Amino acid sequence: MIEFQNVSFAYESGVPVLEDLSFTIRDGEAVGLIGANGAGKSTIFKAMLGLIPVSGTVLVDGVPVNRKNLPEVRRKLGYVLQNSDNQMFMPTVYEDMRFAPGNYGLPPEETERRISQVLAQLGLTELRDRYNHKISGGEKRMAAIATILVMQPEALLMDEPTTALDPANRRAVIRTINGLEQTKLIASHDLDMVLDTCSRVILLHRGHIAADGRAEDILRDQALLEANHLELPLCLAGR
Amino acid sequence: MNQVSRALTEFQEMDALAAMDTPIHRLHPLVKLLTTVVYIFLTVSFDKYDLTGLIPMVLYPALLFSITGIPVGTCFHKLRAVVPLVCAVGIVNPFLDREVLLQVGALSVSGGVISMLTLMCKGIFALMASFLLIATTSMDAICMALRKMHVPGMIVTLLLLTYRYVSVMIEEVSVMTDAYHLRAPGQKGIHYRAWGSFVGQLLLRSMDRATELYQSMQLRGFQGEFSYVAAPPLRGRDWAYFCGMAAGCLALRFVPVAELLGGMVISVD
Amino acid sequence: MHMADALLAPAVAGVMYAASAAAVGVSVHTLRKDEQQPAKLPTMAVSAALVFAGQMINYTIPGTGSSGHLCGGMLLSALLGPQAGFLSMAVILTIQCLFFADGGLLALGANIWNMAFYGCFVGYYLIWRPIMHSKWLSGMGGKAAGRVKIILASILGCVVTLQLGAFSVVIETSLSGITELPFGTFLAVMQPIHLAIGLVEGLITSAVLVFVWEARPELLQDVQTSGNSGRCSVRTTLIVLAVAAAVVGGGLSLLASGNPDGLEWSLFGNSEAGYSENMGLDEDSFGVSSDAADTAASIQGWTAFLPDYAFSGSDSALGTSVSGLVGAGLVAAVAAAICAIGGFFRKKKSSAK
Repeated sequence: MIEFQNVSFAYESGVPVLEDLSFTIRDGEAVGLIGANGAGKSTIFKAMLGLIPVSGTVLVDGVPVNRKNLPEVRRKLGYVLQNSDNQMFMPTVYEDMRFAPGNYGLPPEETERRISQVLAQLGLTELRDRYNHKISGGEKRMAAIATILVMQPEALLMDEPTTALDPANRRAVIRTINGLEQTKLIASHDLDMVLDTCSRVILLHRGHIAADGRAEDILRDQALLEANHLELPLCLAGR
Repeated sequence: MNQVSRALTEFQEMDALAAMDTPIHRLHPLVKLLTTVVYIFLTVSFDKYDLTGLIPMVLYPALLFSITGIPVGTCFHKLRAVVPLVCAVGIVNPFLDREVLLQVGALSVSGGVISMLTLMCKGIFALMASFLLIATTSMDAICMALRKMHVPGMIVTLLLLTYRYVSVMIEEVSVMTDAYHLRAPGQKGIHYRAWGSFVGQLLLRSMDRATELYQSMQLRGFQGEFSYVAAPPLRGRDWAYFCGMAAGCLALRFVPVAELLGGMVISVD
Repeated sequence: MHMADALLAPAVAGVMYAASAAAVGVSVHTLRKDEQQPAKLPTMAVSAALVFAGQMINYTIPGTGSSGHLCGGMLLSALLGPQAGFLSMAVILTIQCLFFADGGLLALGANIWNMAFYGCFVGYYLIWRPIMHSKWLSGMGGKAAGRVKIILASILGCVVTLQLGAFSVVIETSLSGITELPFGTFLAVMQPIHLAIGLVEGLITSAVLVFVWEARPELLQDVQTSGNSGRCSVRTTLIVLAVAAAVVGGGLSLLASGNPDGLEWSLFGNSEAGYSENMGLDEDSFGVSSDAADTAASIQGWTAFLPDYAFSGSDSALGTSVSGLVGAGLVAAVAAAICAIGGFFRKKKSSAK
């Protein structure tokens, strides 16, 4: 589904962020992207979405990410931002969900059908006509996922989907993520959530892949995690 | 609670009022906007001495307050914004215009007093009308009305986006203000050493936010134009409301209702 | 400095609306040609929201007990350029007018002109850009010169644009004929107050801009002095400004001279005589009201109640007859009754539920 071949990226100042990165994400996989602050998690997302110019090749569903293919690539990927306020810029949840289908010229009946279906799927039907600036943090996070799902992307890229949520809302988001069949790539420091949602984990360290393997193996490797500014997930810490 | 968070509360109060469901709320936003403009236009067009002609104009806000059930008191704290300049300008009239226009027994009323009162009434009436518009019409409905009036899409989109982020920003400023004052007890405002960095930091963060916002729009297919839900057409009752209200306001403007009523009462006596 | 609806005659408000609408139209047109415009839109919205919130912050003025505020127009045009800054400022004023009753719906045109137009167009083209582009101080070394230029441009910009704004408020109010205050006195009160405000706002704004410039200079307009072709368009802008000023000034003075009593349209005649004359012309369309007025007159003439009440002014000082006052009282009572009835039925309805 997503393939990185020798991808590098550096800031204008010359500070490298990604260095010669290669990996493949297969269809339907759920992959956790973990690593310390500044390890390059968000940059990987931006490279897939064509938001930054990188050297090397990024393939999405076999299509190389370049200027010409951007619309096609971006339609296949759904990016859920860490800050839902930046994602939800329309006045109401409904209008936000309409935004992307409207831009892609979907027929109104189809748009309506999808909106109702996604809202029902996530159990958000009563949020439909609420104002984005008046719903709670948990509701906002779920609504942000809904605005992405309505595009029916083939892969979901989620940036810290569980930060600043109370345990119940966090649990609801995890349940939602597990209920989605798409290919998922989740960047997070919430390793318990990664363990609950992902079968595979890529551990990044300063723009390199420090480890890539089964979630249970990597997330149990205390020495490896601690060497990379991380800790064992609480449920595995065995206190 | 600091001044900034009070503003946020005020914002939310207006939103809550606009979310009510009354016959006025259900009207098309365009007719409400136009009616309000007609009303304010006619109200301020009264002569500066025509206090008795002006007073019947209170019937329009009174009617709307009554139908919607919005408490009249809610709009009065908003007067603080209007009152200073209006008062500053009006207060001098009684001193400069001392020609006595009305003598009731021993009481003589000068033109200046009347023109000052007229001015204040105009200010209050216009404020009540604007308040009733936004209390019965949500911001996106007003934007719909603006689109229907063929206001450029860029303005409408900008208005909507700004409205969306005003509450986000007010909240950030409010949190920052609280954080500042917790570490600077006894200071009334921001010390001049922090003048630049206080808003500057927020500004830098906001520019990053704008970039992310734009990216999130791009990723969802944005190409420069927003697509909106089509505005519903005007229905019969919308037209009826507009025509009725406009005719009523015109009648109040051109028929000296107060004098007629007064004359009749007096003649009956 | 927000104008209120009550301070404006409809004609003045209309002229100011037209002037502001023209400026909005030109700005939209200019921005549409800009390929970066879609990317600018979120920045404009977020900056506008920031200025909206930022203007609520109180800045302590050293040595005094009082506090000052940020000057939005100058900040926005330095960040976004004149057209985008102007539109953002106009949007701020619209939201302030709707949600906080700062200014009014009818006065919005005047407020956009007084605050957004001067702040963004005059502030940018005549002050910010020339100063930022000037070779002046280039001997001082980049950092120091840049800082001095930003401080100077901000203070000068805020002072000048606030002076222009205050001047416009005085003109608009005076032409509307609602104050007895002589033009000169009004001006003498308004200008010095706004000089002080402008200085303070300029200092605060310059502090913010210097901070931004030191952290992320690329966010500000015109700081990388490429020094090309700026002069020509300054001249063009001057011409545009002069024309705009002439149009607005001319429009207002035409209206003023057309009716020396003030600025009311003759339809809304200022004097009783003019009023009935106009009503007479419109007798066909307003037949009913004329009849009513006649009837009222005859009733009043027939029953002369309180014969000793007297107008000492001319007949034109109308409307304040005792019957008028009585009638106004009645209307107020009716209004109160309407409110009470509304409340009564609602209570009944809710208790019935």
